[in-house]
Parts: sequence; C-alpha cells; structure tokens
Amino acid sequence: MLISRRKQRILTIATYLILAGFTLYCLMPFLWMFVTSIKPDDQIRTLNPSFLVKQITFGHFDNVLNNSAFLTFFKNSLFIASVTTVAALLISIFAGYALSRFVRFKGVKLFGVAMMLSQMIPGVLLLIPLYLVMKNVSLINTYASLILAYTTFTVPLCTFMMKGFFDTIPYEMEESAEIDGASRVGIIFRILLPVSLPSLVSTSLFAFLNAWNEFMFGFVFINDESHRTLTPGVSLFKGLYQTDWGSMMAASVLSVLPIVLIFIFLQRFLVEGMTAGAVKG
Amino acid sequence: MLTLREKRARRIAIAFIVPALLFFLLLNAFPLGQVLWDSFQLKNLLNKAENGFAGLANYAEVVKAEYFMTALKNTVIWTVLSVAGEYALGLVSAIALNQNVIGRTIFRGIIIIPWVVPIVIAGMTWTWMLTPDYGILNIWMVKLGIIDQPYYWLGELNTALLTVVFVNIWRSFPFFTISLLAGLQSVSRDMIEAAAIDGAGVRRRFWHIVLPQLKTVSLTIIFIHIIWTAVNFDFIWVMTEGGPLHSSETLPIMIYRYAMQEYNFGQASALASMMLGFMVAGFVLYYFYATRKNRG
Repeated sequence: MLISRRKQRILTIATYLILAGFTLYCLMPFLWMFVTSIKPDDQIRTLNPSFLVKQITFGHFDNVLNNSAFLTFFKNSLFIASVTTVAALLISIFAGYALSRFVRFKGVKLFGVAMMLSQMIPGVLLLIPLYLVMKNVSLINTYASLILAYTTFTVPLCTFMMKGFFDTIPYEMEESAEIDGASRVGIIFRILLPVSLPSLVSTSLFAFLNAWNEFMFGFVFINDESHRTLTPGVSLFKGLYQTDWGSMMAASVLSVLPIVLIFIFLQRFLVEGMTAGAVKG
Repeated sequence: MLTLREKRARRIAIAFIVPALLFFLLLNAFPLGQVLWDSFQLKNLLNKAENGFAGLANYAEVVKAEYFMTALKNTVIWTVLSVAGEYALGLVSAIALNQNVIGRTIFRGIIIIPWVVPIVIAGMTWTWMLTPDYGILNIWMVKLGIIDQPYYWLGELNTALLTVVFVNIWRSFPFFTISLLAGLQSVSRDMIEAAAIDGAGVRRRFWHIVLPQLKTVSLTIIFIHIIWTAVNFDFIWVMTEGGPLHSSETLPIMIYRYAMQEYNFGQASALASMMLGFMVAGFVLYYFYATRKNRG
C-alpha cells in the first residue's frame, strides 16, 4: 500500500474528474460542429443554442455537396493523398531496407543523417524556393506539384518507420531465400513485406494523413478551383459563405470523415508513431 | 578489398537509396540552398528590372520593416505561451492516464483526437464557437456572467493572438500527453515503493522521483515543439490571417506576405534565412546541452 485508502479514494475521484474534463474539452468542438451541421438556420442563429436538435435537416450537406466545389476538392485531396502514399511507400520501402541492412556502407550512413536532417527542415522555409521551382517547371496548379512536395516531406518519416520494422525481422529469413536464388527485390516483396503487413498499413495511413491534412502548400501552389485540395478549399468557404455556419460545419464534418475512419484503424499504431515523432505538427 | 558479394551488396544499397536521395537533393537541399542564395539577391517578381547582388540589403530592409519587431515579439509570445500551455495540459492528462482507471484506452483515444484533424477544420470550428454573433462560447460566458456582452475574441487587438494560442494548445497538447505518458510508464515502480517505505508522501514522491525522470523526454518534446510552433503558418492564417492590424502576425505569416502578396522573394528569403539561423542556433545550444549532460 503506497497511500492510505482514504487518500487513494480521493485521488481516484480526482482522476476521473480530470479525465472527464479532458474528454469534454477534446470532444466539445466536434460535437458542436456536428450538431450545427444538422440544424436548421433559425436554430443555429439563436441566443439559446442547444445540443439537442429538435428538427434534423440535411440541407447544409445538400448545399455543400451540390452547390459548391466541395466534391471536386474532396476528390482532388483523395487523389493527391493516395498517390503520395503509394509513392512515399515505394520509395521508403527500399530506403528503409537499405538503412536497416546496409548501414555498414558509409554512403548509407550518410544518407540516414540526411534523412534525419530533412525531417527537421520546416516547410515554411522551403515555401519560397519550392514555389519558384514549381513555377519554373510550370507545375503550379497541377496535382504533380503537391504530390512531389508531399512525397518529399513524408519519405523521411516513412523510411524510418520501415527501417524500424525491417530491424525486427531476423536476417536468417532472407539468407535462406538468397541461397535459393531469389533476388533482393523478390526477397523484400515476397518474404519481408507479407510479414510486416500491419506495419505497412500503419505507415501508409500516416503518409495519407499527412497529405490529407496539409494546408500551406496546397494553398500556395494551387490557384484554380478545379485542382484545389480540401483544406484550402474549406478555408476559402469562409469568405464564400460569410456567416452560413451550417454549411461550413457540414463541410467540416465531411472533411473529418476519412480521418475518423483512419483513426479507428490506426489508434493502436498512432500512439507508437507519435512517440517516435511521426506526425508532424 | 571488397569481396564480389560485398560489391554487389553495395550496388544494391546505392540503387535502393537513390530515389529517396533524389527527392532529398532536389526538393530539400537545393531549395534550402536557394533560400540562402536568394536572400543576398534582389529578386522581385513584380519588378524584374531590379535584380543582381544585394549584399545585406534584404536583411536590412526586413529588420527595418514597420512590423518586424511586432512579428518577432508575437512569434515569441505565440511560441512560449503555446508550448507552456501544452506542456501543462499534457502533464496533467498524462498523470491522470497513468493511474489505474477503467476505460483508459478510450480516454487516451479521445484525447488524441484533436491532434489528428486538419488545422483548418479545428480553426474553423473554434472560430464558429467564438463568433460574437451566436457563438456558443460567447453566449455561455455571458450567461455565466464572465463577460457583459459577446466579445469579438479574434477581432480585437489585445485578444486575437491569445485566442489563437488557446486553440493551438487545444490541438497540440495530445502530443505531450502521449510522450509524457510513455515517459511516466518507464518510471520504475521499485523506486517509488522504496521512497514510500522511507516515508515520502504522494507530493514528495512526485516532485523528487517522478518529475526528474521525465526530464529528458520533457526537454526533447519541448524543444521539438518550440520549433514546430514557431514555424507554424496554418493556425494563425486560418483564424486571423495575422490581423487585426498585424496584432497576431508572426514571422511565418510575414514570410508569406513578402513572397505571395508583395512578390519580393529576396526579402522573403532573407527573413526565412534569419529564421533558419535562429533554428540552427537553437539546435547547437540543445546539442551542446545534451552532450554536456550525458558526459556529466
């Protein structure tokens, strides 16, 4: 017994109170977002707002989906984030493998340091030169500009995650395959990746999440409605809808949906990844 | 002399890192060099005639700019208050989660949620809750008697920045929670029990045994977050665009203004290079501190 029973009791109650407070603090905005999105306007613009919705309406969702470019933004984001994920994953499987198995070579070690450094360079410092580069090769207003930028920023993190997974797989497994005459690429795809499938999934979800949530580059590189991604698109609704908060919250709910899905799958890995510094703020 | 097998392995290793290396060189290293180079050049996209070597003129212009000192001060306030608030909330929530509670995984899951939503969405939802007309927080505060009438939190000179800080804390503290929780879980139970047997009370055990063991993880996350917060563009841009009257403008917002509104890439690069300088200085300090501590 580390403390008296009475004290233990008070502490337990305090702990639950604190956790309840945090729950409220963390969830309140989402709850309010959702409630606002399904309320009719006269219940949104009232001095007695309530969490109870007397009359559910999907008018705001209808407005966002049918009278705005929201679906275009959504599709663009989905496309860019998916391509980024695949590209980043392919590149980092190989890079991670090299970092895990070939660190004995000087060049590979140096490469590891470079990856580490690049993870620390903040995007805003690269904003200007990257914009100029994209402009010079006329990639402004294309999906490619964002895919290239996002891939660059996700590869280091994915590489380190893949390296971590490969490190846990014993080398003997590869050796026997090598003796049987399998190529290195064959070994990675036929033997290592099937073993580390959950890790592969979590790495790709991280890559997807980062690309989906990014705002600044999407805001600067894309100026035309048909290529715009979701985060800048939604932020521009603010000017478009003025005070139509119902529609804005409906757009928010729809943008958060894929994240909620990812979150449910990722929860377990998310904690590990965050501890490893995986999600950048 | 390498064996034939080693040689082959080296070739494979190089082939494997080339794609990632290309991305790094073309889109990280080269642009970074470009920023430094451009900071010494006259480069204005609106006035193409004005070009060539500028020496330190860009730096001088930036430092002399009317709102530079304001932006610098705002960046410090924004960073220090955000990180302090995040740490405090992170520590309290981590300690609570480290107790034997029912439904711990659920509580932990809920606490992580703010961290995974896009900043834009978080910013917009809070903006809605804080609006003077019909914003729920204003209405609640008036009802509770905290304020007399709805207040335009994001639109007034003296509260705009602090309000964004508040929302930023809400979004970023989960990272501290998770890291500190991992730290707390590695604190040895034996030591705590030994101290308890020696008669140390709950408070004493916390201050003298638990907290010191959190020192390394605390320093690391605080350091990382100082950088992440100082360079953050999204939050302030989405909520106030640096306004009203530059009262919530930080250095990243200023970089954006120079580049994308005035098209003065030279001065924008000078400002970015200065920030890079601050960052590198921070790294060096941190590195020396960390190595000295390891030796001692």
